Amino acid sequence: MPSHPSTVTPEVVRRIAALARLRVPESELSVWARQLDRIVSYIDQLKDVPEESAAGRDSARPTPFRSDFPRPGAGDRALAENAAVSAHGFGVVPRVVGGEE
Amino acid sequence: MATAENVRTRRRSAEEVLREALAEIEALDGKVGAFLEVTPDLALDEARAADTRVHAGEDLPLAGVPFAIKDNMWVAGREATCASRILRGFHPPTDSTAVSRLRQAGAVFVGRANMDEFAMGSSTENSSVQLTRNPHDLERIPGGSSGGSAAAVASGMVPAGLGSDTGGSIRQPAACCGAVGFKPTYGRVSRYGLVAFASSLDQIGPITRNVADAARVYRVISGFDPLDSTSSAEDPGNPESSAVSGLRGMRVGFLREAEAEGLDGEVAKNVDDARQLFESAGARVTPVSVPRAPEAIAIYYVVASAEASSNLARYDSVRYGPRPSVRDLASLYVESRTMGFGPEVKRRILLGTFALAAGYYEAYYGRAMRARAVLSHDFERAFELVDVIVCPSIPTPAFRIGEKTEDPLTMYLSDIFTVPASLAGLPAISVPSGFTKDGLPLGLQILGPRFGEDDVFAAAAGFEREIALPDETPRGVRS
Repeated sequence: MPSHPSTVTPEVVRRIAALARLRVPESELSVWARQLDRIVSYIDQLKDVPEESAAGRDSARPTPFRSDFPRPGAGDRALAENAAVSAHGFGVVPRVVGGEE
Repeated sequence: MATAENVRTRRRSAEEVLREALAEIEALDGKVGAFLEVTPDLALDEARAADTRVHAGEDLPLAGVPFAIKDNMWVAGREATCASRILRGFHPPTDSTAVSRLRQAGAVFVGRANMDEFAMGSSTENSSVQLTRNPHDLERIPGGSSGGSAAAVASGMVPAGLGSDTGGSIRQPAACCGAVGFKPTYGRVSRYGLVAFASSLDQIGPITRNVADAARVYRVISGFDPLDSTSSAEDPGNPESSAVSGLRGMRVGFLREAEAEGLDGEVAKNVDDARQLFESAGARVTPVSVPRAPEAIAIYYVVASAEASSNLARYDSVRYGPRPSVRDLASLYVESRTMGFGPEVKRRILLGTFALAAGYYEAYYGRAMRARAVLSHDFERAFELVDVIVCPSIPTPAFRIGEKTEDPLTMYLSDIFTVPASLAGLPAISVPSGFTKDGLPLGLQILGPRFGEDDVFAAAAGFEREIALPDETPRGVRS
């Protein structure tokens, strides 16, 4: 693959990992950047897709909706069966205020 | 379907059939690793229930047929983990619609089949739990992501399995293992209870040992479902009678772009042989062009990754999943996801987040969506000229375990022939088409126009009859 200026740099990886709520150790940033940049370079073959094209053909289909009304579900049972910690029918999570951001 | 016919006509009981399948699993799965979990007691209850229904006079199209279910579909009473650490211990509240329809038809669920984590992969090596091996050569991959279902069916442990196909995950492993794998038109089979990967692409379908069985399973699981807003109300057609209609006069287009891709020599010869076979059976064979097909992988890895990054944002270990020890909510999100997802899933999430991020969205996601629309248009034009399009299912036979794990892009290119039908939402089937000189299976892929399942089954069954491959136990699991 020909050399080219990198689109995905370690700094870009740091930023998108934060958006995706993933922790990428500093020592691995450049490895991820290299791998993702190789994939993105391959994707760049789409650069010649015309701006005006058949786009919209598929999105023109209306989104189907069904009537929206409450009905009994298995939510409480599913939560009780699956949540790591629950109390009084609610899932329990660690403190929300005062943590890292 | 021979198993169902035997149970329906009471030549054999569902319990007897199940015990035989469990004995095969016991004998072979230690070598193959197709199943994440086998549930004999639950399966035995289901087999006995199927026998009771048959005795009561119910007409069950899948009476007593033992099934392997890919681990991303909800089956009440079993875990559904997508072979991921982040869903370990998750028990779904109900059956997925496809599983519920199998159950109504008398099928029996023997176990959860291995898969690439969250269906992201082409070799089943991305499972967080175990490797699955190709029953034809235990040193090779079974394909993926539905590698567990394909290996279980191909090795003779069960006659049928369900897989899911986002970019080829039913067809590619079926081809690698020498089975039949069918992806229906987008919208034909409800995804209610299928764990979402890329919602504009995901579709459930059967993996079986012959085309007629795939048609039977497809008929059972297809049809409108109000629980999936993308479910189609179109009549599912008549796949089983189409499968006996023959090839004479059918317009069969061989995909020109597939042959320009620098095919593996044995795959190219296999396609040539198939061409001659269609011609000698009376089909009208022509070349056909889908000009954007070579760009399909580039389009797919933007669209599928973008959708995956959104769909997988829900995993945070709040309502389910292992809970890491942390002191605040923000850390719970980050730590559970960092510990819970494997490297390939993280790669797709990062790629998708990149493609959707401010500053990159139009250059990547917007452009890929335009290219996808052009590709769909290419197919519509091609199907004005032919009834079905034929190309290889896989660019090479199954590769060795570990051969491509360090090179994600090369791994992605394994799906070069299956991704175009996924992007255009078309029905496509992989049918066994012979073996390499080393005895590895090859598969021929047959694509139809949207909602053109009947033509796909007619062509696939006709090809299968003409080529008449022997139904033998794969050599990797022969004792």
